[in-house]
Amino acid sequence: MADEAVIRLEEVTKSYRTRPALRGVSATVERSEFVFLTGPSGAGKSTLLRLLYRAELPDSGRVVVNGRDVAELRPRDVPGFRRRLGIVFQDFKLLRRRTVGENVTFALSLVSLSEREQERRAYLTLKRMGLQHRLTAFPEELSGGEQQRVAIARALVLQPDLILADEPTGNLDPERSHELLELFKSINYQGTTVLVATHDRSLIETHPARTLFLERGQLVRDGWGTTP
Amino acid sequence: MIAHLGREVRRQLRESGPTGLVALLLVAVATTWGGVLWAVRGWVTKELLDQDRPATVVATLRSPDDRGELERALAAQPNRTTVTVTTPAETKTLLSSWFPELSAALLGLDDASFPALLQVEVAAADAATVAEWLRRRPEVTVVENSRDWQGRVERTLAGVMVAGFGLAAALLVGCGVVVLLVVRLLVLEHRDEIAIMRLIGAREIDIRLPYLACGSLLGLGGGALGVLILTGLGAALLPGLGWIGVWTGIVVPLIGAAVGALGAGLGLASLPVAP
Repeated sequence: MADEAVIRLEEVTKSYRTRPALRGVSATVERSEFVFLTGPSGAGKSTLLRLLYRAELPDSGRVVVNGRDVAELRPRDVPGFRRRLGIVFQDFKLLRRRTVGENVTFALSLVSLSEREQERRAYLTLKRMGLQHRLTAFPEELSGGEQQRVAIARALVLQPDLILADEPTGNLDPERSHELLELFKSINYQGTTVLVATHDRSLIETHPARTLFLERGQLVRDGWGTTP
Repeated sequence: MIAHLGREVRRQLRESGPTGLVALLLVAVATTWGGVLWAVRGWVTKELLDQDRPATVVATLRSPDDRGELERALAAQPNRTTVTVTTPAETKTLLSSWFPELSAALLGLDDASFPALLQVEVAAADAATVAEWLRRRPEVTVVENSRDWQGRVERTLAGVMVAGFGLAAALLVGCGVVVLLVVRLLVLEHRDEIAIMRLIGAREIDIRLPYLACGSLLGLGGGALGVLILTGLGAALLPGLGWIGVWTGIVVPLIGAAVGALGAGLGLASLPVAP
């Protein structure tokens, strides 16, 4: 039987110099799950996400994503590995000198697709985000919420198995934050696994889901709700 | 994929701005200079240093009366030769025609002031033997061989070419350095963008290829501009010189492209490696 876990963490430890960021974290996220990762600032949420998309390597333990141990990936396999993930950041990380359309087609240009197909997919994904009329706009011409939706479109356009969102609502007002969460939920309903790191407890209370609670680098709770 | 690469390269070229233009012009100057040298070398080799042409050996006679005996002795030589003798009077006329501003003075001199000249046309391979034979003759004072003169021209030309091509090479190195700086500046400017590209799954080749192509195109463009300048110079100055052949037209831009690619490759060394 195939492994249904999209993420498997086994006793993961990570330190920066002498400061421990993660201490013996173990958890599993199944396919099509929606999971919050929460905890106070400095709890290790971003470090855990960086390990998941292999921007960092663990000091010990195993990080398995989509069935692949990130520590065993060869450097040349990392881009392909990342193309199976959709990553969304608090600061959007859009390509400033490119239009909305180009930001989305850039991700598509990394795989073998015709220009026409790239444009078609980019248009459909942006339409899903309600941004089809902003194709030729540059990121700085968009509101924070629109920029974040472009980032999500870019993350979604390659139809990833897993969406990793690191404080995606950090730069948005409460109303836009809840809209964004609804968007993540709808993406999840269509079968994509979503892991959202946030320290915003109101967001978790309004959109209840399985929550991993990190504190001082340790996983202190795995369940529903916001109380550690 | 190709269209995407094309867009990326256009973007890099646009962003390379005036520095990129300087790189392109430098390549054009270097390749034009190299092309001019090459054309001059070709012309000198063809027109002055042709080894298959008959050589000329010129001897100065002690006395015009010696010519008869010398001509007979030359006729007995195994090498087929054409002998022309210039009498002192003819030498005087010849010199005054070469130097018209001195002609009045020259024509006023006595014929005896001028030597009789013996000019021998021989096959190039026999020139040294005939010159040596003439030097041993008591009737002859000075012997000059056109092959010796060609040798001197050849040595001088080789020296000039080494210096000239050295300068062209130095200019090309300068072009490579400018392209290196252009690419390094672009990479520094795009550092954040490159990090984002890596995060969304761009391979190193996806990231580096547009910069390499940009550097190569700057070099190629400079080389092509050099070819245009050479063609224009050839047409305007010396149409018969054959300044630029098909191969030169192909090779010169390729040299420019190679220099650009090398500079860009070195410039990319500043790009941080993915963790």
